[in-house]
Amino acid sequence: MTTPEAGADGAGAPTAAEAASAERRLHPMSWLFVLLQQLRQFIVPLIALLVFGRGDRNELWSLLAVGVLVVLSLWQYFTYRYGTTGDSLVVRSGLLERSLRVIPFARIHNVALRQSALHRLFGVAEVRLESAGGAKPEAEMRVLKMADALALEALVRRRGSVEAAASAEPAETTLLTMSVGDVVRLGVVNNRGMFVVGAGVAAFMPYSREVFPNDIMPREVGQFVMSLFGWTHNHHFGPLQYVLGALLLIGAVLAAVRLLSVLLALLQYYGFRLSEHGRRLTVERGLLARWRTSASRRRIQAWTLREGVLHRLLRRRSLEIETAVGETQDQERALRELAPIATPAACEALIEHLLPRAGWRGLDWRALPLASWWRLFVPGLPWLAIITAALCWRFGAWGLLALAWLPWAAFKARQRARRIGYAVNEELVAVREGWWSRHWRFAEIDKLQALQLSRSPVDRRCGTATLWLDTAGAGALAPPLRIRFLPVTEAEALYRRLSAMLAARKLRW
Amino acid sequence: MSATLPEEPKATPTGAEAEGWQSLPARAWPLFLLGVSISMAVLLGMVGVIVGTLGLGVAAGIAGGGVGALLGGAIGIWIGTKQFHHTHWRLDADGLAVRRGRLWQRETRVPVSRVQHLDLKHGPWQRRRRLATLVVHTAGTRHSEVQVPHLDADDAQRLRDRLGRQIDHDDDA
Repeated sequence: MTTPEAGADGAGAPTAAEAASAERRLHPMSWLFVLLQQLRQFIVPLIALLVFGRGDRNELWSLLAVGVLVVLSLWQYFTYRYGTTGDSLVVRSGLLERSLRVIPFARIHNVALRQSALHRLFGVAEVRLESAGGAKPEAEMRVLKMADALALEALVRRRGSVEAAASAEPAETTLLTMSVGDVVRLGVVNNRGMFVVGAGVAAFMPYSREVFPNDIMPREVGQFVMSLFGWTHNHHFGPLQYVLGALLLIGAVLAAVRLLSVLLALLQYYGFRLSEHGRRLTVERGLLARWRTSASRRRIQAWTLREGVLHRLLRRRSLEIETAVGETQDQERALRELAPIATPAACEALIEHLLPRAGWRGLDWRALPLASWWRLFVPGLPWLAIITAALCWRFGAWGLLALAWLPWAAFKARQRARRIGYAVNEELVAVREGWWSRHWRFAEIDKLQALQLSRSPVDRRCGTATLWLDTAGAGALAPPLRIRFLPVTEAEALYRRLSAMLAARKLRW
Repeated sequence: MSATLPEEPKATPTGAEAEGWQSLPARAWPLFLLGVSISMAVLLGMVGVIVGTLGLGVAAGIAGGGVGALLGGAIGIWIGTKQFHHTHWRLDADGLAVRRGRLWQRETRVPVSRVQHLDLKHGPWQRRRRLATLVVHTAGTRHSEVQVPHLDADDAQRLRDRLGRQIDHDDDA
């Protein structure tokens, strides 16, 4: 591969003096933010103790801990320096136990800048630099002045060559922005509100004792509930009214959760902008806290285009990517969503723009034999049997009504089998699956790592095989890149063809 | 770069299969048996103890455990033999391929250009029998680690050298 500017400058060998001259420190207020970060784990118990504490003096011990943390964060500020030498970033830290870390710019996959509301007040940002693999980021700078952070990001973009800076800086083009309407749609489509409710309940549990002392909890809450529902006793409603009431209540809860999702989407995705700086993609988003993450276009390992039922109703899709950073699939930091929600046309245009040679629109999709629909149908049968048995045990013969699901399941399996397909050309492997909620999963052939052809006993009986294609950094939630129910001769031919193609091409990731 | 790759390291006489698929040396067989038998024996032994104790008492539990362990050992020997006979590997111009399993057949292929690094493991039992396990690491997720168990130690060494030579150090981003 050719390196545009970095190779030409010839100043590859950095001298110690050069390194020292370029050395920088964190923002002077950084200790405050480190401290706040440390305190976050203590803050809830601390507040709980101060507000609900019963007057004993033990909470003073936690103040002592805070003091120690202040000293530690100051210590970190005074010992942390970073600088650049030629084509790599050098980070020095520690005074007693010194560490010197050299990170070549070319190895940095992902640059993430985060600004909380407080950060924005001070004009600073947290910077994380990530390379492929490993659970921890290569460098985490808490915090830099915003200008310094942006300069560092630009440096990574240019791969460190400072001289070639201003003139060769490629222009920035915006690929996608999200309107407020789209952000609201995103909130309606995703279920993040549900997670927050769950997480909130889980986080609140340990402190519930302090907030509601034991004795009042059941009685007061019970009275509250009774007063809320008490009036129904006086009206002597029939079962229909109760069912209606329950439905109304469920509806209200669902609406509240959706509202929460919309609020969260607004907080996280407001002002979403995907832009392109030469070969790097940058995403900016967030209402109060701002995120700015950037990754090289080449670092994209696999793509997922999704379309659920709600998506279809709103005529939108979402486009996600995977880069090979870290094990912790940190939604906030990594560049994972190219288009959280966008019209199908916009998604296609993005794919076409970013994978110009793959010919996404002109892919030759091949369907898989419809005859294998029953293999999608059968795995659901045991579950149906269990549910039917449980219902029969509870309601007698009425439980058999559950079997009415069978024809629907068969219909669904047929529809799914009809839509399963794959496409392979010289650049791209793509798989599509799903009927109600659909997805397309694809990766450049250059990004495939290993192939597996597997045949279960059923496969052997039916003369089919499954071809698994592995890419780096695939998330746990992402659908697998696999071609199921492929006739065995076709599978073997594809397997041989792909392995020959892979062997002939260099690994580029 | 793949064109320069020479033929397989060694045409083992045991390689009965066509198209260059290599079998494992016969001395690897006991290791397969041990690997499966021990875990099966422990598992079924524990099941035997629990079932026996709950059903008839402590004495029956001990007897049940013994029977379970024996049964597990026997099943292990059977499965291990099957595994041994159905493990093959092959190195060709494209890379390394490993074929395993009979009921569930899996053929995993790591193209030479995708090898990240290699491990050669010699356990104490393997050392005594001049065997080694080769672990090929890729950057992938599901198949980031492809194992060829209980290879002939010389073959393993050769495989490692051959695959290791292919790792190109491109410093480009």
